[in-house]
Amino acid sequence: MDALDLTIRNQVYSNFVRTGRAPHPSEVAIDLDLGPSDVEESYQRLHDAHALVLDRDALEIRMLNPFSCVPSAWRVEAAGRTWFSNCAWDSFAVCAALHSDGRIESTCADCGEPLAVDVRDRKPVQRDYLFHVLVPARQWWDDIVFT
Amino acid sequence: MNLFRSEEHLERWLAGREPGASTSVDTLCDLAHAWYSDRLDPDWRPHTLEHNQAILDRLGLTGTFWRLA
Repeated sequence: MDALDLTIRNQVYSNFVRTGRAPHPSEVAIDLDLGPSDVEESYQRLHDAHALVLDRDALEIRMLNPFSCVPSAWRVEAAGRTWFSNCAWDSFAVCAALHSDGRIESTCADCGEPLAVDVRDRKPVQRDYLFHVLVPARQWWDDIVFT
Repeated sequence: MNLFRSEEHLERWLAGREPGASTSVDTLCDLAHAWYSDRLDPDWRPHTLEHNQAILDRLGLTGTFWRLA
């Protein structure tokens, strides 16, 4: 990942955390005084490097891991805001990335009953749930949305 | 990557499929912090595969299932 892509990646994350919305390439181009095509090409390289996840066949950002840029079944209250994440792991990771306590709300994948876990001082308060990963690690990025 | 109320709920959800791997919520929380705490740092750099594999190893997430490559 070269310096330009790192700068654009950092601007995208910074913009998202500030506004709660993933920026369009044209917005990042204005922020960084770059050409729109420079940012569009960078978005694709960052997607290929797994530094962000674009919606298929579009330059819309779907994931800035651990954040989901679209509503999901995983809600995290942290740092004074409500965020969406992509899965159980990413939900705890939202607290980690924001260096914040938080509350994770979702449902049991089996029965659909609500689940909630509070995170205090980097530790879960409710500890009796089970975390399950279906896809082996070497295949996580084969289809990250399914993973 | 899901949460379940118990082992019984996981087994019912799997419905005979081959299970993946399970951990406690404590390990999950430790994993999330080890992997993602630097994600918003201004000097963030991509983790190497070796760095991330070491995180998994340190938390006892070992074996073929947890090998990143």
